[in-house]
Amino acid sequence: MRFLALITILMVGGLLFYGTPDFPAWGDPESPASLHVSPYYIEHAVEDTAVPNIVTAVLADYRGYDTMFETAVIFSAGIACLFLLRIYRRKSTTTRLYRHNLTGITLRIAKGGKLPEGSAEFERIDSLWVPYDMIIKVTSRLVVPFVQLFALYVIAHGHHSPGGGFQGGVIFGAAIILYAISNDLRRAFRRLNEKAALLASAAGVLLYAGTGLMCLLLGGNFLDYSKLADLLYTDAIMARSHGILIVEIGVGLAVMAVMVSLYYNLSSAGRHDEGL
Amino acid sequence: MSAHFPGLVIIIPLVAAFLILIGALLDRRLAFPLTALALLGSLLTAIGLLGKVIQTGVVEYHLAGWAPPVGIAYRVDHLNALVLVAVATVAFVNLMGTRELVKGLFEDRLGPFYTLYILLIAGLQGIVVTGDAFNLYVLLEIAALTGYALVGMSEGRAPLSSLNYIFIGTVGASLYLLGVGYLYLVTGTLNMADLAVRLPALYPSKVVVSAFVICLVGLCIKMGFFPMHAWLPNAYSHAPDPVSSLVAPLVTKVMIYVMIRMMLFVFTPAFAFDQMAISEPMVWLAIAAIVAGSFMALSTRRLKRMLTYIIVAEVGYMVGGFWLGNRLGISGAILHIVNDAIMTLCVFLSAAAIISKVGSDAIDDMQGLFKKMPVTMGVFVVAGLSIIGVPPTCGFFSKWYLISGAVAAGQYGFMAALLLSSLINLVLFFRIFEIAYFEPFHDHHGDHGHFVSAVQEAPFEMLVTLVVTAVLLFALGIYAGDIVSQIIDHAIPVGIT
Repeated sequence: MRFLALITILMVGGLLFYGTPDFPAWGDPESPASLHVSPYYIEHAVEDTAVPNIVTAVLADYRGYDTMFETAVIFSAGIACLFLLRIYRRKSTTTRLYRHNLTGITLRIAKGGKLPEGSAEFERIDSLWVPYDMIIKVTSRLVVPFVQLFALYVIAHGHHSPGGGFQGGVIFGAAIILYAISNDLRRAFRRLNEKAALLASAAGVLLYAGTGLMCLLLGGNFLDYSKLADLLYTDAIMARSHGILIVEIGVGLAVMAVMVSLYYNLSSAGRHDEGL
Repeated sequence: MSAHFPGLVIIIPLVAAFLILIGALLDRRLAFPLTALALLGSLLTAIGLLGKVIQTGVVEYHLAGWAPPVGIAYRVDHLNALVLVAVATVAFVNLMGTRELVKGLFEDRLGPFYTLYILLIAGLQGIVVTGDAFNLYVLLEIAALTGYALVGMSEGRAPLSSLNYIFIGTVGASLYLLGVGYLYLVTGTLNMADLAVRLPALYPSKVVVSAFVICLVGLCIKMGFFPMHAWLPNAYSHAPDPVSSLVAPLVTKVMIYVMIRMMLFVFTPAFAFDQMAISEPMVWLAIAAIVAGSFMALSTRRLKRMLTYIIVAEVGYMVGGFWLGNRLGISGAILHIVNDAIMTLCVFLSAAAIISKVGSDAIDDMQGLFKKMPVTMGVFVVAGLSIIGVPPTCGFFSKWYLISGAVAAGQYGFMAALLLSSLINLVLFFRIFEIAYFEPFHDHHGDHGHFVSAVQEAPFEMLVTLVVTAVLLFALGIYAGDIVSQIIDHAIPVGIT
């Protein structure tokens, strides 16, 4: 087997070497890739869509259909993880730890024991709980709002600078995951529970696809944002720009929610009980 | 509205996927009716699209309103309209038939299951309609990702098989993407029609040759073509039954469609068949696939595993038929895509019904099944006859075209392999019929020698769908001539004789 693998790798390597000599030169302005479709994008992106960032114009408008499916890929990844990992029937075989806040005594309550749920004096803790985590908690509490603000900036500013829904969504998701890591999973659930995360991931992609569908209902082709002009009180070109912003927000929402949902499922092995 | 059919056929299941998840968060029981409604809508759209293509010819749809090559375009001709209807039919029929099974297996996760199910279908249908080589890759990702998740969700070795499938499938998809990247490097476009215009001038380029080889190898991995089939038997036989009966008929067939699309309409036949001169080795590999698949099927005594090996052989039929390079062979390959999708659906559905009642998929446990499950076994017999290639079932006609093509091309080895495979299939299925018909059903409380003749059939909707697929097998056989003359003849470029 190992010998066969070696032969295969050598053949693939040989094939890659074989094709390389006919490549266009590095950075060649006369290469076919820079002569056919690219000049159109460079020359027309601003007048077509009123978006200064050509990459965003290509990504979310000219080839917006691909991007919608890329978002759907991320959504599928989140649902796949949920489908495979989530354990719905709670097994009460595990013991739970409760800490008495005033004295610092930890109670280990075995299966079937009475749980001090709802008591103000006891707090449920993870089995990997560390007593002195004040620095981590305070630092992350300081950082999280700024990370979220930056995420919103990245989503909103995709028209003018590098950024957009994917990057902003990941940053926003990271902020919530940071909160979940620095505190615990249950506290993160209080901010954004599992169902809300799922709802947001579906709603995000639905916002994208729904915008496309709206264009179709208004008489254009799917995702032809210029047909939204009447709805948005602008002309056809600005409507494309606004349409891009709407779908970027959808992408951001979906990516954020999927990141969080992935973290919930992976960190607790689908039990949604104790996280990292 | 009919102008939007090419878009709607994907958009309906896609939008439904999100609504299903949201609906299932409210009430799990909403998941099934929503899925059924969306797939029915998609099926009707696909049929409408096929009718439109037959009447008026190629239908184009420019997404976001940008004309190709600047934007992404859907281009539906006879070839993809036909495959699209096959995919939509299999998806809908399988959904209706496996309702009870799915409820039993995934009771607590119906929402995610049906979301993944319909996203898989959206991905596969998108692959079939698209006229853009990169868009195809994106949809390939969706179909693959959801497929991995569905295949892996079962007891025992399913997660491991799914992991294997992920590794190998990712290599295949990456190779395809690399090939498309190479094509973009020398042409500057991703649109298939535009590529076909710009490529002929570049045929001497080594980059195009590399792109061709890389793409073809990637697609062969994804379709489970021998000797790159190693992921297929495990993934499909360990998958949950309602999933096997979905992915087994569809995924390999759609990948064969992609190969045909790329070879005939991106690279031209002149390049694929004449300049590259790989027809001969491809046909020989197909012969190897048919022989190896048939013998591997003979060596197993597990029903689902046997059927997956038959798929390996069937992939050989289609790839070999295509690379014969003549009109008869290619017609046979395209017709067999449709026929094999329905045949595979039919056998896997009956296998699912049998396994759900018998509780095991060992062939030796099927004693007395004709008495216990007469309808299911009746349908299974029809499907078996179709796979063997007995007229008037559809399997006979595609095999007829393939054999005629082999004779016309002078590939007697391929003809012999097809006949050998038919003979082996005969042994495979009659071995099962014999056990199920002649051997008495054993009472598990001890062998008292008396028959337990109580009829214990599969759920009602499963029986209905089984009968529907069996009728489809006959219908496809009876109308095979019309399908070829009305649709497939127009799908193949005129240059091929």
